[in-house]
Amino acid sequence: MALVSVDATTPDLVQAALDGSRDAFGILVGSHWDRLVRLARSVVGDFEAEDVVQDSLVVAWTRLAGLSDPQKFGPWVSRIVFRRCLRANHRQRGRIALEAIPEPSRWCDPEASLSAWQVLARLAPRQRAVLHLTAVEGMTDAEIAPVLGITAASVRAHRRRARAAVARIVRGGES
Amino acid sequence: MRNVDDEDLIRSFEDRLRERAGRPSAISASVARTRVLAQLPDVSRPVPWMRLMAAATLVVVLIVAVWLGSPRPAGEGNAAQTLAVAPALDPNVVMWVIDSRTTVYFVLSRDGSENRGVS
Repeated sequence: MALVSVDATTPDLVQAALDGSRDAFGILVGSHWDRLVRLARSVVGDFEAEDVVQDSLVVAWTRLAGLSDPQKFGPWVSRIVFRRCLRANHRQRGRIALEAIPEPSRWCDPEASLSAWQVLARLAPRQRAVLHLTAVEGMTDAEIAPVLGITAASVRAHRRRARAAVARIVRGGES
Repeated sequence: MRNVDDEDLIRSFEDRLRERAGRPSAISASVARTRVLAQLPDVSRPVPWMRLMAAATLVVVLIVAVWLGSPRPAGEGNAAQTLAVAPALDPNVVMWVIDSRTTVYFVLSRDGSENRGVS
């Protein structure tokens, strides 16, 4: 198995992983983990986020040969996570209302955390993702589009609707 | 159009969203890496020559499909065309048109024997 340089670039790591290097894939997992968990938390909540991301990374390993441009590993794996989040949301809908799932509050002010999630939970999953990727990750519409599998124009439309819904919810106009 | 109050509400929400996202993950990246690596299945990666073989096979299949689906040359008319110009036959004669050059006649007789011929 090929040795992986500590300063290898993402395309190098992807190529090494394609050649069978689990170490290389492990480095990719480590470098993308926090960002992917942040995205999953905003779409499915804290309760399932880490599990969804772990599953997604295993799926990414099995589908790595389908990645056409190794430079785009980040958006590609984010899209897998987002799709798994949609599936998790679908499962959650059958069991319990999203906003009823309590979040762990040991890391910061529980009131602020809960209210942010309560607002997010009332939005459509794509709206949550668009708000997250814009406000938290600072991504442009063109960068968000491939992650969600929609056009940049659709990203703008989702954000416009999401922000209007947020204002309505925070003002108390929507239960 | 949204008013200034709405913009403030949205900005405040986005601040809370960033604050919420800033919390560390319950599972650290190194632990996640170990867990994910433990779950990775063995995957056989397709090698380039396999893709080439698959592409070549597809091309051959397409060529055969096109050849089979194409109309035959005029000299090899089908059975229906041949039947259209077939002479009237006695009621005890059965004719099979195999192709433009081969016709099989079955002549049925009362005693049950058959006279067969190939033209």
